[in-house]
Amino acid sequence: MRRSRPRLFVALDAGSVSGGAGARSGGGFRLASHARVPLGAGALAPSPFAPNVVRPGEVAEALRELARSLRIGPAPVCLLLPDGIARLALLDVPADVTPQQYARFRIVPALPYPAEEAVIEVLPLGPGRAVVAAVRRSVIEGYEAVAEQAGLAQDRLDLTPLAALSGLLREPGDAGGLTVDVILGDAAFCLAAHQDGVLRALRNRRRDPGPDEPPRLAEEIQRTSVLAGDGAGPRVRVVGAGAGDLLASWRATGAAAEPGWRSESAGAGVEASELAWLGGATD
Amino acid sequence: MRDFSSRPRRRAARPVDLALLAAGTAAFLLSAYATTSAWNGRQRARARVEETRRESEAVQARVRELDARREPAQAIAYQALLTAEASPPRVLADLVALMPGDVRLDAVNMSYGEPLGLRVDVVARTASSYDLFLDRLQRSPLFADVLPGEENREGELRTSIQMTYRPL
Repeated sequence: MRRSRPRLFVALDAGSVSGGAGARSGGGFRLASHARVPLGAGALAPSPFAPNVVRPGEVAEALRELARSLRIGPAPVCLLLPDGIARLALLDVPADVTPQQYARFRIVPALPYPAEEAVIEVLPLGPGRAVVAAVRRSVIEGYEAVAEQAGLAQDRLDLTPLAALSGLLREPGDAGGLTVDVILGDAAFCLAAHQDGVLRALRNRRRDPGPDEPPRLAEEIQRTSVLAGDGAGPRVRVVGAGAGDLLASWRATGAAAEPGWRSESAGAGVEASELAWLGGATD
Repeated sequence: MRDFSSRPRRRAARPVDLALLAAGTAAFLLSAYATTSAWNGRQRARARVEETRRESEAVQARVRELDARREPAQAIAYQALLTAEASPPRVLADLVALMPGDVRLDAVNMSYGEPLGLRVDVVARTASSYDLFLDRLQRSPLFADVLPGEENREGELRTSIQMTYRPL
């Protein structure tokens, strides 16, 4: 893994706002700083259609507190929006169109809002393949407005699941075997099955937290690996908020899984695998 | 790099931005010079075109003058001969003999002059049969100056062909 300069990230999700400066490094991720500020229940509700920032004042105050903790000042930050707001799809793209154009043909007509409101971005996966994401413009504007209200200088804006997937696919793991990556958000999660660096399946589901969530997620992983053409015990990696608890729960039942990435050194007070947005440091 | 921002953001210029700006300015100056040169070239070309057009008009006027001097009786006699040797049923029979099965004629227009001009509207079920018909026309000693028109290849192929007929 090659080294990169630390960059500032601010991620928003239903349960908290978090952020820090992170960079990929030889043994994993190097966190120069990290902070997390919890949000009251219902202050921010990730949704593909409705306004997400339900209580802007509360979210803006949490962002201001995060900025103070991280001493962000006027430095531009990459804003990361949570899982559960985008329509994600893995597409085989014909040679004579761009992934954005093809997404407008394949995905946008099925969205429950006018086509001109869709903002489309792409995670390229090599020739003829891409993960495309469509987000409603008004949803994005809600996040931008609250970031501006908090005094944050926005550099660019990305989706946490895409940032995480980008980082995970840069370290695809052992050749030959199927890997299923679980990217946890507060409101939704992604399952990405890949083999030899080729993404074979991508699924996106709403979360339903509770004591029975770990076995249900294990079943979803099994379905995803079957969908990817190999149902025989894939390697499983997890990133995102609650990754540690989920891994511990699975370990207790004898299931094998591992963190999607690790901190290069202890000290930031948080496991790198808990921060799905760190994948953005590899872009 | 992905950016879902709803509108472009202003950001401070980096060294690479300044370098690109300098390169852009140089490219603009270069293109302005190229535009000026091209404009001058265009003016020279227009003058040459105007000169050629005048020469062409003079030649056409001369041709019209020579045509007017031809004996009317000679043209009438030629047309009578052509009509006798190239009656419409015979021309049509010669034309149809060259047509593949899935080519049909929608219209035929004959201009008895010197030579006999033909304009046919053709419908072909497939492009390959049309190509075969054209090939036969071009090889036939009876038809000359075969000039295919614009083709409409949506579904059936529709086009028109101009040619001249030369009775043997």
